[in-house]
Amino acid sequence: MGKRTVLYNKHTALGARMVEFGGWDMPVQYTGIIEEHKTVRSFAGVFDVSHMGQIFVSGKQSVDFLQSIVPQDISKLKLLKAEYCQLPQTDGGLVDDLIIYRLEEDNFLVIANAANIQKDFDWLKANIKNFDVTIDNKSQDYSMLALQGPKAANIVEKLGLSIENQPAFFTIKDFNIDGLNGYISRTGYTGEDGFEFIVKNEYAAILWDMIFKAGEQFNVKPIGLGARDTLRLEAALMLYGNDLTEKTTPVEAGLKWSIPVEKIPDYNGKDVILGQIKNGVQKKLIGFVMTDRAIPRHEYDIYFNGHKTGVVTSGGYSPTLDKNIGMGYVDTKDNITLDATIEIMVRNKLYKAKVVKRPFVAKKYKIS
Amino acid sequence: MIVPEGILCSKSHEYLLEESETEFVIGLTDYAVEQLGDIVFVELPEVGTEYSKGEVFATVESVKAASEIYMPVGGKIIEVNEKIVESPEILNESPFEEGWLVKIESADAHAESGDLLEYSDYKEELE
Repeated sequence: MGKRTVLYNKHTALGARMVEFGGWDMPVQYTGIIEEHKTVRSFAGVFDVSHMGQIFVSGKQSVDFLQSIVPQDISKLKLLKAEYCQLPQTDGGLVDDLIIYRLEEDNFLVIANAANIQKDFDWLKANIKNFDVTIDNKSQDYSMLALQGPKAANIVEKLGLSIENQPAFFTIKDFNIDGLNGYISRTGYTGEDGFEFIVKNEYAAILWDMIFKAGEQFNVKPIGLGARDTLRLEAALMLYGNDLTEKTTPVEAGLKWSIPVEKIPDYNGKDVILGQIKNGVQKKLIGFVMTDRAIPRHEYDIYFNGHKTGVVTSGGYSPTLDKNIGMGYVDTKDNITLDATIEIMVRNKLYKAKVVKRPFVAKKYKIS
Repeated sequence: MIVPEGILCSKSHEYLLEESETEFVIGLTDYAVEQLGDIVFVELPEVGTEYSKGEVFATVESVKAASEIYMPVGGKIIEVNEKIVESPEILNESPFEEGWLVKIESADAHAESGDLLEYSDYKEELE
Protein backbone atom coordinates (compact mmCIF):
# COMPACT_ATOMS: atom_id res chain seq x y z
CA MET A 1 0.00 0.00 0.00
CA GLY A 2 1.25 3.44 -0.93
CA LYS A 3 1.08 6.76 0.90
CA ARG A 4 -2.29 8.49 1.01
CA THR A 5 -3.13 12.13 0.49
CA VAL A 6 -5.53 13.69 3.00
CA LEU A 7 -8.22 13.46 0.31
CA TYR A 8 -7.98 9.66 0.02
CA ASN A 9 -11.42 9.10 1.58
CA LYS A 10 -13.00 11.68 -0.74
CA HIS A 11 -11.73 9.70 -3.73
CA THR A 12 -12.94 6.32 -2.53
CA ALA A 13 -16.33 7.79 -1.56
CA LEU A 14 -16.64 9.08 -5.13
CA GLY A 15 -15.99 5.55 -6.40
CA ALA A 16 -12.53 6.29 -7.78
CA ARG A 17 -10.32 3.45 -8.90
CA MET A 18 -7.10 3.81 -6.93
CA VAL A 19 -3.66 2.92 -8.29
CA GLU A 20 -0.11 3.20 -7.07
CA PHE A 21 1.77 6.16 -8.56
CA GLY A 22 5.20 7.31 -7.44
CA GLY A 23 4.70 5.61 -4.08
CA TRP A 24 1.21 7.04 -3.58
CA ASP A 25 -2.29 5.56 -3.78
CA MET A 26 -3.94 7.93 -6.22
CA PRO A 27 -7.25 8.00 -8.14
CA VAL A 28 -6.64 6.94 -11.75
CA GLN A 29 -10.27 7.54 -12.75
CA TYR A 30 -13.67 8.29 -11.26
CA THR A 31 -16.11 7.66 -14.12
CA GLY A 32 -13.86 7.11 -17.15
CA ILE A 33 -10.69 8.63 -18.55
CA ILE A 34 -12.19 9.87 -21.83
CA GLU A 35 -15.20 11.48 -20.15
CA GLU A 36 -12.97 13.14 -17.54
CA HIS A 37 -10.58 14.32 -20.24
CA LYS A 38 -13.43 15.95 -22.18
CA THR A 39 -14.80 17.56 -19.02
CA VAL A 40 -11.49 19.39 -18.52
CA ARG A 41 -11.33 20.51 -22.17
CA SER A 42 -14.97 21.71 -22.16
CA PHE A 43 -15.73 22.77 -18.58
CA ALA A 44 -13.44 22.28 -15.60
CA GLY A 45 -11.95 19.51 -13.51
CA VAL A 46 -10.35 19.18 -10.09
CA PHE A 47 -7.23 17.09 -9.54
CA ASP A 48 -5.77 16.06 -6.21
CA VAL A 49 -2.06 16.60 -6.80
CA SER A 50 -1.09 16.51 -3.14
CA HIS A 51 1.48 13.85 -3.93
CA MET A 52 3.66 16.56 -5.47
CA GLY A 53 6.41 18.05 -3.33
CA GLN A 54 6.82 21.52 -1.80
CA ILE A 55 10.39 22.44 -0.96
CA PHE A 56 11.10 25.95 0.35
CA VAL A 57 14.46 27.58 -0.35
CA SER A 58 15.14 30.71 1.68
CA GLY A 59 17.99 32.78 3.01
CA LYS A 60 20.33 35.57 1.96
CA GLN A 61 21.94 33.54 -0.84
CA SER A 62 18.89 31.68 -2.10
CA VAL A 63 19.17 33.32 -5.53
CA ASP A 64 22.87 32.44 -5.84
CA PHE A 65 22.16 28.90 -4.68
CA LEU A 66 19.32 28.35 -7.17
CA GLN A 67 21.44 29.96 -9.89
CA SER A 68 24.02 27.21 -9.30
CA ILE A 69 21.58 24.32 -9.79
CA VAL A 70 19.18 25.30 -12.61
CA PRO A 71 19.88 26.56 -16.16
CA GLN A 72 17.22 29.28 -15.79
CA ASP A 73 18.14 32.79 -14.66
CA ILE A 74 16.55 33.00 -11.22
CA SER A 75 17.99 36.49 -10.64
CA LYS A 76 15.53 37.71 -13.26
CA LEU A 77 12.53 35.94 -11.79
CA LYS A 78 10.15 38.64 -10.58
CA LEU A 79 8.40 38.53 -7.26
CA LEU A 80 5.37 36.17 -7.30
CA LYS A 81 6.29 34.86 -10.74
CA ALA A 82 6.73 31.18 -11.58
CA GLU A 83 9.34 29.62 -13.83
CA TYR A 84 9.57 26.20 -15.44
CA CYS A 85 13.03 24.88 -14.49
CA GLN A 86 15.14 21.77 -14.74
CA LEU A 87 17.56 20.26 -12.25
CA PRO A 88 20.52 18.96 -14.28
CA GLN A 89 23.38 16.75 -13.17
CA THR A 90 26.89 17.79 -14.24
CA ASP A 91 26.48 15.63 -17.39
CA GLY A 92 23.28 17.49 -18.32
CA GLY A 93 20.96 14.55 -17.51
CA LEU A 94 18.02 15.57 -15.37
CA VAL A 95 17.39 14.89 -11.69
CA ASP A 96 13.90 16.36 -12.15
CA ASP A 97 11.92 19.16 -13.74
CA LEU A 98 10.41 21.78 -11.45
CA ILE A 99 8.25 24.83 -11.11
CA ILE A 100 9.95 27.50 -8.99
CA TYR A 101 7.92 30.36 -7.49
CA ARG A 102 9.50 33.49 -6.06
CA LEU A 103 7.36 34.09 -2.97
CA GLU A 104 9.60 36.79 -1.49
CA GLU A 105 12.90 38.36 -2.45
CA ASP A 106 14.76 35.54 -0.68
CA ASN A 107 12.09 32.86 -0.38
CA PHE A 108 11.32 30.39 -3.15
CA LEU A 109 8.83 27.56 -3.43
CA VAL A 110 10.05 24.59 -5.46
CA ILE A 111 7.43 22.11 -6.73
CA ALA A 112 8.93 18.66 -7.22
CA ASN A 113 7.52 15.57 -8.90
CA ALA A 114 5.99 13.08 -6.45
CA ALA A 115 8.43 10.25 -7.08
CA ASN A 116 11.41 12.62 -6.84
CA ILE A 117 10.74 14.59 -3.65
CA GLN A 118 13.39 12.89 -1.53
CA LYS A 119 15.84 12.71 -4.46
CA ASP A 120 15.45 16.43 -5.17
CA PHE A 121 15.71 17.36 -1.49
CA ASP A 122 18.91 15.31 -1.16
CA TRP A 123 20.23 16.87 -4.38
CA LEU A 124 19.53 20.39 -3.14
CA LYS A 125 21.24 19.68 0.20
CA ALA A 126 24.24 18.08 -1.51
CA ASN A 127 24.64 21.25 -3.61
CA ILE A 128 24.46 23.77 -0.74
CA LYS A 129 28.27 24.19 -0.63
CA ASN A 130 28.88 27.47 1.26
CA PHE A 131 25.66 29.17 0.28
CA ASP A 132 23.76 30.80 3.10
CA VAL A 133 20.39 29.08 2.49
CA THR A 134 17.81 27.04 4.32
CA ILE A 135 16.16 24.15 2.49
CA ASP A 136 12.87 22.97 3.96
CA ASN A 137 11.01 19.97 2.61
CA LYS A 138 7.42 20.80 3.62
CA SER A 139 5.77 18.25 1.31
CA GLN A 140 4.22 16.43 4.27
CA ASP A 141 2.43 19.58 5.45
CA TYR A 142 0.91 20.73 2.19
CA SER A 143 -1.83 19.53 -0.11
CA MET A 144 -2.28 20.70 -3.66
CA LEU A 145 -5.44 20.91 -5.79
CA ALA A 146 -5.43 21.75 -9.48
CA LEU A 147 -8.54 23.33 -11.01
CA GLN A 148 -8.22 23.24 -14.80
CA GLY A 149 -10.41 24.05 -17.77
CA PRO A 150 -12.15 26.92 -19.57
CA LYS A 151 -14.52 27.43 -16.61
CA ALA A 152 -11.77 27.45 -13.96
CA ALA A 153 -11.64 31.25 -13.69
CA ASN A 154 -15.43 31.43 -13.28
CA ILE A 155 -15.27 28.93 -10.44
CA VAL A 156 -12.46 30.81 -8.71
CA GLU A 157 -14.54 33.97 -9.05
CA LYS A 158 -17.49 32.17 -7.47
CA LEU A 159 -15.14 31.15 -4.62
CA GLY A 160 -14.71 34.85 -3.90
CA LEU A 161 -11.70 35.87 -5.98
CA SER A 162 -12.83 38.31 -8.66
CA ILE A 163 -11.37 37.92 -12.15
CA GLU A 164 -9.20 41.06 -11.63
CA ASN A 165 -7.84 39.66 -8.40
CA GLN A 166 -6.90 36.29 -9.81
CA PRO A 167 -3.21 35.60 -10.38
CA ALA A 168 -2.04 36.14 -13.97
CA PHE A 169 -0.52 33.30 -16.03
CA PHE A 170 2.50 31.76 -14.27
CA THR A 171 2.16 33.87 -11.13
CA ILE A 172 1.22 33.00 -7.57
CA LYS A 173 -0.47 34.90 -4.76
CA ASP A 174 -1.82 34.41 -1.25
CA PHE A 175 -5.52 33.84 -0.91
CA ASN A 176 -7.83 33.92 2.05
CA ILE A 177 -11.43 32.80 1.77
CA ASP A 178 -13.22 33.06 5.11
CA GLY A 179 -10.06 32.19 7.00
CA LEU A 180 -9.05 29.38 4.66
CA ASN A 181 -5.69 30.54 3.37
CA GLY A 182 -2.90 29.38 1.15
CA TYR A 183 -1.38 30.04 -2.24
CA ILE A 184 -3.13 30.13 -5.59
CA SER A 185 -1.15 30.06 -8.83
CA ARG A 186 -2.12 30.24 -12.50
CA THR A 187 -0.37 27.05 -13.53
CA GLY A 188 -1.25 23.49 -14.44
CA TYR A 189 -0.49 20.40 -16.46
CA THR A 190 -3.32 20.18 -18.97
CA GLY A 191 -2.76 22.92 -21.57
CA GLU A 192 -5.94 24.64 -20.33
CA ASP A 193 -6.33 27.83 -18.35
CA GLY A 194 -6.35 26.91 -14.70
CA PHE A 195 -5.13 27.24 -11.16
CA GLU A 196 -3.27 25.31 -8.53
CA PHE A 197 -4.08 25.75 -4.86
CA ILE A 198 -1.36 24.98 -2.34
CA VAL A 199 -2.78 24.75 1.17
CA LYS A 200 -1.94 23.25 4.54
CA ASN A 201 -3.30 19.69 4.83
CA GLU A 202 -6.02 20.68 7.31
CA TYR A 203 -7.65 22.91 4.67
CA ALA A 204 -7.56 20.48 1.75
CA ALA A 205 -10.88 18.69 2.33
CA ILE A 206 -12.73 21.97 3.00
CA LEU A 207 -11.29 23.53 -0.15
CA TRP A 208 -12.16 20.41 -2.16
CA ASP A 209 -15.82 20.71 -1.07
CA MET A 210 -15.86 24.46 -1.66
CA ILE A 211 -14.60 24.08 -5.23
CA PHE A 212 -17.25 21.49 -6.06
CA LYS A 213 -19.98 23.65 -4.55
CA ALA A 214 -18.81 26.76 -6.43
CA GLY A 215 -18.28 24.75 -9.59
CA GLU A 216 -21.54 22.81 -9.65
CA GLN A 217 -23.20 25.18 -12.15
CA PHE A 218 -20.11 24.95 -14.36
CA ASN A 219 -20.19 21.16 -14.50
CA VAL A 220 -16.94 20.73 -12.54
CA LYS A 221 -15.91 17.09 -11.97
CA PRO A 222 -13.11 15.26 -10.14
CA ILE A 223 -10.40 14.09 -12.55
CA GLY A 224 -7.99 11.19 -12.06
CA LEU A 225 -4.40 10.62 -13.06
CA GLY A 226 -5.48 8.77 -16.21
CA ALA A 227 -6.93 11.92 -17.77
CA ARG A 228 -4.12 14.01 -16.29
CA ASP A 229 -1.76 11.95 -18.46
CA THR A 230 -3.83 12.15 -21.68
CA LEU A 231 -4.33 15.91 -21.17
CA ARG A 232 -0.64 16.64 -20.61
CA LEU A 233 0.33 14.43 -23.56
CA GLU A 234 -1.96 16.38 -25.92
CA ALA A 235 -0.32 19.57 -24.64
CA ALA A 236 3.11 17.86 -25.12
CA LEU A 237 4.09 18.62 -21.52
CA MET A 238 7.01 16.59 -20.24
CA LEU A 239 6.51 13.68 -17.84
CA TYR A 240 9.57 13.02 -15.71
CA GLY A 241 10.45 9.32 -15.78
CA ASN A 242 9.20 9.05 -19.39
CA ASP A 243 10.17 12.05 -21.51
CA LEU A 244 12.79 13.34 -19.11
CA THR A 245 15.26 11.16 -17.22
CA GLU A 246 18.79 11.21 -15.84
CA LYS A 247 19.84 10.16 -19.37
CA THR A 248 18.23 13.07 -21.23
CA THR A 249 19.30 16.70 -21.27
CA PRO A 250 16.87 19.64 -21.54
CA VAL A 251 18.30 20.47 -24.98
CA GLU A 252 17.60 16.96 -26.26
CA ALA A 253 14.10 17.26 -24.82
CA GLY A 254 13.44 20.40 -26.88
CA LEU A 255 13.44 22.67 -23.82
CA LYS A 256 15.98 25.09 -25.28
CA TRP A 257 13.30 27.83 -25.13
CA SER A 258 13.52 27.69 -21.33
CA ILE A 259 17.31 28.12 -21.17
CA PRO A 260 18.87 31.60 -21.36
CA VAL A 261 22.26 31.20 -23.09
CA GLU A 262 23.38 34.61 -21.78
CA LYS A 263 23.04 33.59 -18.11
CA ILE A 264 26.40 34.28 -16.46
CA PRO A 265 26.66 32.22 -13.24
CA ASP A 266 27.80 28.63 -13.50
CA TYR A 267 25.33 25.81 -12.90
CA ASN A 268 25.47 22.02 -12.93
CA GLY A 269 25.69 20.80 -16.51
CA LYS A 270 26.24 24.25 -18.01
CA ASP A 271 29.12 23.14 -20.28
CA VAL A 272 27.15 20.22 -21.69
CA ILE A 273 23.91 22.18 -22.09
CA LEU A 274 25.48 25.22 -23.77
CA GLY A 275 27.66 22.92 -25.87
CA GLN A 276 24.55 21.12 -27.12
CA ILE A 277 22.77 24.38 -27.86
CA LYS A 278 25.80 25.49 -29.90
CA ASN A 279 26.85 22.23 -31.57
CA GLY A 280 23.65 20.23 -31.67
CA VAL A 281 22.52 16.99 -30.07
CA GLN A 282 22.72 13.29 -30.92
CA LYS A 283 19.12 12.58 -30.11
CA LYS A 284 16.08 14.83 -30.04
CA LEU A 285 12.50 14.62 -28.91
CA ILE A 286 9.83 14.54 -31.61
CA GLY A 287 6.05 14.36 -31.64
CA PHE A 288 4.12 12.08 -33.98
CA VAL A 289 0.61 11.05 -34.96
CA MET A 290 -0.06 7.46 -36.02
CA THR A 291 -1.30 7.16 -39.59
CA ASP A 292 -1.63 3.37 -39.32
CA ARG A 293 -4.00 1.87 -36.79
CA ALA A 294 -1.95 1.18 -33.65
CA ILE A 295 -1.32 2.77 -30.28
CA PRO A 296 2.26 3.84 -29.51
CA ARG A 297 3.32 3.33 -25.91
CA HIS A 298 6.24 4.09 -23.59
CA GLU A 299 9.39 2.14 -24.60
CA TYR A 300 8.19 0.98 -28.03
CA ASP A 301 10.93 1.29 -30.66
CA ILE A 302 10.89 3.96 -33.37
CA TYR A 303 12.10 3.03 -36.87
CA PHE A 304 13.13 5.19 -39.81
CA ASN A 305 13.93 3.87 -43.28
CA GLY A 306 14.02 0.32 -41.96
CA HIS A 307 16.39 0.81 -39.04
CA LYS A 308 15.83 1.61 -35.37
CA THR A 309 16.28 5.30 -34.66
CA GLY A 310 14.89 5.70 -31.16
CA VAL A 311 12.29 4.96 -28.52
CA VAL A 312 8.80 6.20 -27.66
CA THR A 313 8.76 7.96 -24.29
CA SER A 314 5.03 8.79 -24.06
CA GLY A 315 2.18 7.64 -26.22
CA GLY A 316 -1.48 6.86 -26.28
CA TYR A 317 -4.95 7.70 -27.44
CA SER A 318 -5.83 11.38 -27.77
CA PRO A 319 -9.51 11.87 -26.87
CA THR A 320 -9.54 15.41 -28.33
CA LEU A 321 -8.13 14.38 -31.73
CA ASP A 322 -9.50 10.82 -31.73
CA LYS A 323 -6.05 9.78 -32.97
CA ASN A 324 -3.11 7.95 -31.47
CA ILE A 325 -0.20 10.22 -30.65
CA GLY A 326 3.22 9.97 -29.11
CA MET A 327 6.57 11.53 -28.33
CA GLY A 328 9.98 9.94 -28.40
CA TYR A 329 13.66 10.43 -28.99
CA VAL A 330 15.18 9.84 -32.43
CA ASP A 331 18.74 9.85 -33.71
CA THR A 332 19.52 13.31 -35.15
CA LYS A 333 21.76 11.64 -37.79
CA ASP A 334 18.57 10.43 -39.45
CA ASN A 335 17.60 14.06 -39.99
CA ILE A 336 13.93 13.40 -39.21
CA THR A 337 11.94 16.57 -39.84
CA LEU A 338 8.29 17.65 -39.70
CA ASP A 339 5.98 15.54 -41.90
CA ALA A 340 8.56 12.74 -42.14
CA THR A 341 7.20 9.21 -41.99
CA ILE A 342 8.52 7.07 -39.16
CA GLU A 343 7.40 3.65 -37.96
CA ILE A 344 6.58 2.36 -34.51
CA MET A 345 7.19 -1.28 -33.58
CA VAL A 346 4.03 -2.58 -31.94
CA ARG A 347 3.92 -6.29 -31.04
CA ASN A 348 6.64 -7.11 -33.58
CA LYS A 349 5.02 -5.23 -36.45
CA LEU A 350 5.83 -1.81 -37.86
CA TYR A 351 3.10 0.83 -38.09
CA LYS A 352 3.46 4.20 -39.84
CA ALA A 353 3.34 7.57 -38.11
CA LYS A 354 3.88 11.15 -39.22
CA VAL A 355 6.13 13.60 -37.40
CA VAL A 356 4.10 16.65 -36.32
CA LYS A 357 4.52 19.89 -34.39
CA ARG A 358 4.04 19.86 -30.65
CA PRO A 359 1.74 20.52 -28.87
CA PHE A 360 -0.75 18.15 -30.48
CA VAL A 361 -3.64 20.24 -29.14
CA ALA A 362 -3.22 24.03 -28.89
CA LYS A 363 -2.72 25.40 -25.39
CA LYS A 364 -5.41 27.74 -24.13
CA TYR A 365 -3.55 29.69 -21.47
CA LYS A 366 -4.93 33.12 -20.55
CA ILE A 367 -1.80 35.16 -21.18
CA SER A 368 -2.67 38.76 -20.47
CA MET B 1 -27.10 -5.93 -19.64
CA ILE B 2 -28.22 -9.51 -20.13
CA VAL B 3 -25.73 -12.21 -19.28
CA PRO B 4 -26.27 -15.06 -21.76
CA GLU B 5 -27.23 -18.30 -20.17
CA GLY B 6 -24.62 -21.01 -20.10
CA ILE B 7 -21.51 -18.90 -20.61
CA LEU B 8 -18.26 -20.17 -19.14
CA CYS B 9 -15.61 -17.77 -17.89
CA SER B 10 -11.85 -18.10 -17.62
CA LYS B 11 -9.65 -16.79 -14.83
CA SER B 12 -8.21 -14.34 -17.36
CA HIS B 13 -11.77 -12.98 -17.92
CA GLU B 14 -12.65 -14.34 -21.37
CA TYR B 15 -16.06 -15.93 -21.80
CA LEU B 16 -17.04 -18.87 -23.99
CA LEU B 17 -20.58 -19.22 -25.29
CA GLU B 18 -21.75 -22.33 -27.07
CA GLU B 19 -23.65 -21.68 -30.30
CA SER B 20 -23.74 -25.24 -31.55
CA GLU B 21 -21.99 -28.49 -30.74
CA THR B 22 -18.75 -27.26 -32.41
CA GLU B 23 -19.16 -23.48 -32.70
CA PHE B 24 -18.48 -21.00 -29.92
CA VAL B 25 -18.37 -17.25 -29.31
CA ILE B 26 -15.46 -15.76 -27.35
CA GLY B 27 -15.59 -12.38 -25.67
CA LEU B 28 -14.56 -10.45 -22.59
CA THR B 29 -16.63 -10.49 -19.43
CA ASP B 30 -18.40 -7.40 -18.09
CA TYR B 31 -15.91 -7.38 -15.23
CA ALA B 32 -12.97 -7.38 -17.65
CA VAL B 33 -14.22 -4.44 -19.72
CA GLU B 34 -15.08 -2.49 -16.59
CA GLN B 35 -11.58 -3.04 -15.21
CA LEU B 36 -9.97 -2.07 -18.50
CA GLY B 37 -11.89 1.21 -18.66
CA ASP B 38 -12.41 3.03 -21.96
CA ILE B 39 -11.40 0.59 -24.72
CA VAL B 40 -9.95 2.44 -27.72
CA PHE B 41 -8.33 -0.24 -29.83
CA VAL B 42 -8.93 -3.89 -30.73
CA GLU B 43 -6.69 -6.16 -32.77
CA LEU B 44 -8.35 -9.38 -33.92
CA PRO B 45 -6.86 -12.46 -35.60
CA GLU B 46 -7.30 -13.56 -39.21
CA VAL B 47 -10.16 -15.88 -39.99
CA GLY B 48 -8.83 -19.40 -40.46
CA THR B 49 -6.04 -19.15 -37.88
CA GLU B 50 -5.88 -21.96 -35.36
CA TYR B 51 -4.94 -21.41 -31.73
CA SER B 52 -4.45 -23.72 -28.79
CA LYS B 53 -6.01 -23.15 -25.42
CA GLY B 54 -4.16 -20.39 -23.55
CA GLU B 55 -2.61 -18.83 -26.66
CA VAL B 56 -2.86 -15.07 -27.26
CA PHE B 57 -5.27 -14.46 -30.15
CA ALA B 58 -6.19 -10.77 -29.76
CA THR B 59 -5.13 -7.53 -28.12
CA VAL B 60 -7.44 -5.03 -26.50
CA GLU B 61 -6.15 -1.60 -25.55
CA SER B 62 -7.69 0.81 -23.12
CA VAL B 63 -6.53 4.41 -22.73
CA LYS B 64 -4.10 3.19 -20.08
CA ALA B 65 -2.64 -0.05 -21.42
CA ALA B 66 -2.58 -2.93 -23.89
CA SER B 67 -3.95 -6.30 -22.74
CA GLU B 68 -3.47 -9.67 -24.38
CA ILE B 69 -6.51 -11.90 -24.75
CA TYR B 70 -6.18 -15.68 -24.39
CA MET B 71 -8.09 -18.56 -25.96
CA PRO B 72 -10.29 -20.14 -23.26
CA VAL B 73 -10.23 -23.35 -25.37
CA GLY B 74 -8.39 -24.29 -28.55
CA GLY B 75 -9.99 -23.82 -31.94
CA LYS B 76 -10.07 -22.26 -35.40
CA ILE B 77 -11.24 -18.66 -35.95
CA ILE B 78 -14.29 -18.72 -38.22
CA GLU B 79 -15.55 -15.15 -37.78
CA VAL B 80 -14.29 -11.91 -36.22
CA ASN B 81 -16.39 -8.99 -35.02
CA GLU B 82 -15.35 -6.25 -37.48
CA LYS B 83 -17.75 -3.82 -35.81
CA ILE B 84 -15.61 -3.55 -32.66
CA VAL B 85 -12.50 -2.81 -34.71
CA GLU B 86 -14.27 0.30 -36.05
CA SER B 87 -15.97 1.15 -32.74
CA PRO B 88 -14.03 -0.36 -29.82
CA GLU B 89 -16.31 1.37 -27.28
CA ILE B 90 -18.93 -1.29 -28.09
CA LEU B 91 -16.89 -3.62 -25.87
CA ASN B 92 -17.55 -1.38 -22.87
CA GLU B 93 -21.20 -0.85 -23.76
CA SER B 94 -22.22 -4.40 -24.59
CA PRO B 95 -19.61 -7.05 -23.78
CA PHE B 96 -22.00 -10.00 -24.17
CA GLU B 97 -24.18 -8.99 -27.11
CA GLU B 98 -22.68 -6.50 -29.57
CA GLY B 99 -19.14 -6.63 -28.20
CA TRP B 100 -18.13 -10.26 -28.78
CA LEU B 101 -14.62 -10.81 -30.18
CA VAL B 102 -14.49 -13.93 -32.35
CA LYS B 103 -16.36 -17.09 -33.25
CA ILE B 104 -14.44 -20.33 -33.30
CA GLU B 105 -14.89 -23.87 -34.45
CA SER B 106 -13.64 -26.30 -31.88
CA ALA B 107 -13.88 -30.04 -31.55
CA ASP B 108 -12.07 -30.01 -28.20
CA ALA B 109 -14.00 -27.26 -26.44
CA HIS B 110 -15.91 -29.62 -24.17
CA ALA B 111 -12.79 -31.52 -23.22
CA GLU B 112 -10.82 -28.33 -22.59
CA SER B 113 -13.37 -26.29 -20.68
CA GLY B 114 -12.95 -28.10 -17.37
CA ASP B 115 -11.18 -25.16 -15.69
CA LEU B 116 -13.75 -22.60 -16.87
CA LEU B 117 -16.32 -21.34 -14.40
CA GLU B 118 -20.04 -20.78 -14.71
CA TYR B 119 -20.85 -17.07 -14.55
CA SER B 120 -22.22 -17.16 -11.01
CA ASP B 121 -19.14 -18.99 -9.72
CA TYR B 122 -16.90 -16.63 -11.67
CA LYS B 123 -18.58 -13.62 -10.05
CA GLU B 124 -18.24 -15.22 -6.64
CA GLU B 125 -14.55 -15.83 -7.25
CA LEU B 126 -14.09 -12.11 -7.95
CA GLU B 127 -15.51 -11.06 -4.58
